Amino acid sequence: MTSLTWVFITALLLLVSTFLPRVGLLAIYKTYRAALEREQVEDALKHLLDREQHGRQASPESLAGTLNLQRSHAIRLIEDMEKQGLLESRGANLHLTTQGERWAIHIVRAHRLWERYLTDEARMPLEKIHGESERREHSFTEAQLDELDAALGHPTRDPHGDPIPTREGTLLKAEGMPLTAWQAEGPVQIVHLEDEPPLAFEQILAAGLRLGQTIRILDRNPQRYLLTDGETEYRLAPAVAANVSVAALPESETAKASAIPLAELTYDQRAEIVVLDEAVQGFTRRRFLDLGLTPGTMIYPELQNFFGDPRAYRVRGTLIALRKDQAAQIWVKPV
Amino acid sequence: MEANEILAKAESLRNNLSTGFRDEIVKSLYTEAEHIAKRAVKTTSDKKYDFDQKIDRLVTSPYTGLPIMLLLLGIIIWITVSGANVLSSAIAVVLFGIGDYGRALFNQIEMPWWITGFIWDGVYLGLAWVISVMLPPMMIFFPAFTFLEDLGYLPRVAFNLDWMFKKTGAHGKQSLTMAMGFGCNAAGVIATRVIDSPRERLIAILTNNFVPCNGRFPTLIMLATVFVAASFPPALTSFIAAGTVVGVVLIGVAFTFLASWILSRTVLKGEASAFTLELPPYRRPNVSRILYTSIIDRTIFVLWRAMQTAAPAGAIIWILANIPIGDSNLARAVADWLNPFGLLLGLDGVILLAYIIAIPANEIVVPTMMMVYIGAGMMINGPSSNSAIFDLLVNGNGWTILTAVNLMLFALLHNPCATTIMTIYKETKSVKWATLSVVMTLGTAFLVTFLTATIARLLGWA
Repeated sequence: MTSLTWVFITALLLLVSTFLPRVGLLAIYKTYRAALEREQVEDALKHLLDREQHGRQASPESLAGTLNLQRSHAIRLIEDMEKQGLLESRGANLHLTTQGERWAIHIVRAHRLWERYLTDEARMPLEKIHGESERREHSFTEAQLDELDAALGHPTRDPHGDPIPTREGTLLKAEGMPLTAWQAEGPVQIVHLEDEPPLAFEQILAAGLRLGQTIRILDRNPQRYLLTDGETEYRLAPAVAANVSVAALPESETAKASAIPLAELTYDQRAEIVVLDEAVQGFTRRRFLDLGLTPGTMIYPELQNFFGDPRAYRVRGTLIALRKDQAAQIWVKPV
Repeated sequence: MEANEILAKAESLRNNLSTGFRDEIVKSLYTEAEHIAKRAVKTTSDKKYDFDQKIDRLVTSPYTGLPIMLLLLGIIIWITVSGANVLSSAIAVVLFGIGDYGRALFNQIEMPWWITGFIWDGVYLGLAWVISVMLPPMMIFFPAFTFLEDLGYLPRVAFNLDWMFKKTGAHGKQSLTMAMGFGCNAAGVIATRVIDSPRERLIAILTNNFVPCNGRFPTLIMLATVFVAASFPPALTSFIAAGTVVGVVLIGVAFTFLASWILSRTVLKGEASAFTLELPPYRRPNVSRILYTSIIDRTIFVLWRAMQTAAPAGAIIWILANIPIGDSNLARAVADWLNPFGLLLGLDGVILLAYIIAIPANEIVVPTMMMVYIGAGMMINGPSSNSAIFDLLVNGNGWTILTAVNLMLFALLHNPCATTIMTIYKETKSVKWATLSVVMTLGTAFLVTFLTATIARLLGWA
């Protein structure tokens, strides 16, 4: 064959692989672009909803800042979304339409359900779930979300303590108030950890604070907040402390006060289960309950592994092995 | 009330539910169950309980726990090795004898040479090899292993080894799935369903192949007996051979931990998750059921599967070996072509060819290798004694101790068989994970054999 034939065949192959519908390079690129645009629209909707819930106004500037866009690009995005009937601009302010709000709440629902899933079922570390959910929240239909919701047992709150919207689109306000606004004395429970901005969230986690923890405010001054859970002291800058919301102690927490974690029970002790820690949710909690680790049950350690972890406990006549970190989440009262 | 009103009411109530309402439901179920049990069940003496506790203390104690585990593994493998050697040669004598007779019969009635060759030197020889190599270890290993399973000992192994699995980011129940893998890796992959965390289940699936299955045990046993144990006094051979196989198994366990550790820090990132394991009371094994399940369900099932691939494989090898190319034949030509790569790994071309033909089932690796080495018409009977095999491999085909060691390592680490790959695909529903399972194991096998071969050559050992 002459070289001309080869050139012709190569050109033909290139053309076909570029323009083939669905699997061609061009088609793939188009799908990719469409997904990217959809993500941008959805991120914009979330931003608007977030602002509205905090009683603040959204503007093209705030949008450009949050989405990390150039102003001109943000304006174009807003025009597009107006045309789709998702938002209206009144003066310099942006407002969600009913349709826009519905979509925004759908995304928030997807995000928080995914966070719940990643924590409870995939058991991903808490500082990673936000980023992972940001990636996953975009590509789900309502029906798929309903399935996820049902599989998770219709949770009401995400792992940060934020309420998960219902499928009808009702969204409760986050309960509790920022630590900086809490005035009363006595122990409080952490009901929400704000995960935006990530830097502040990382500091909260690095300090060792977690959702559901019972704390007491020891001291507050403009430089720092000093907190304690009875053992460890935590220090937070006021700006970071504002991202921690607290509320009065629920009943289950008062029960914990006189209890110790199962992991600390010694071999000559028997104990009664008081409560399962608030932090244990989803799969692990169901598993614990299925094994009969319900409040009021007698339990005692019977076997130890070479390295002290796991231990096997006798409960309801059966022998069940638990790792130390699980046993630390079961609160018992020695008898 | 309207349906919508009811839904709205439920919705508003749902948000006011305390988070512990599920706990309350389960608690009330247990209270009810306890109530019923109290009326219906009478507990008598605690003797059985005390006895169980004593055994448990022994098998999980820091001093005796690990030695007992190794001892039990050693005993099972020793029984398998020493029993299999006797049975294997007995079966081989009978089956190869039948082969001689059949061939003679066909010659007598003047069948064309290619029909005689195809049937007796191809299909029949493949089947005879697989049965004599496979059947004895399975017949002994499966009942012995099912005995431990029935006894309730395996969960204790999971309990003992959990700290290692926790360190590698995996689940303690992975040791149960590994134990299943000794029987068959496809069964081990299915057994990972007992691990409820998806991440840790994937780790268990991907690393299961590092446990040598029953299809690979015969290869290990043959090499351990013929090469390692042969230089020791006859009284010790079965112990040395069993010790070698135990060593190979432990290398496989080490690779399982290493691979789990790497996986949980790369593609399957995450923390060790919830681990709950029930340690059931010991039960007296039911001997008739053990024999039934291990012989009928396991041995016959696996052997039948091996025979289904061995017959066509035997046919293919015979055809390859009888298509002449110059002075040689096609099988030899392919093996020669693969040879440089094989030598690089401390193996040879025939071994690689055998592994390619044996992708459907690992059981036929040794038979395939033997048949290619023997070649068409050169030697009609299979070598039925260990010294004959040694002679064929070392003097006839240039094997060294390096070849034997590397073949053991390759048999331990190489890719899963086709059935296991299909099972991984079915269990994960993902081509990606099935592919990774092949790439990971084959990559490890190539890398490790290449390294041992290179190091041995640099040090002048081979």
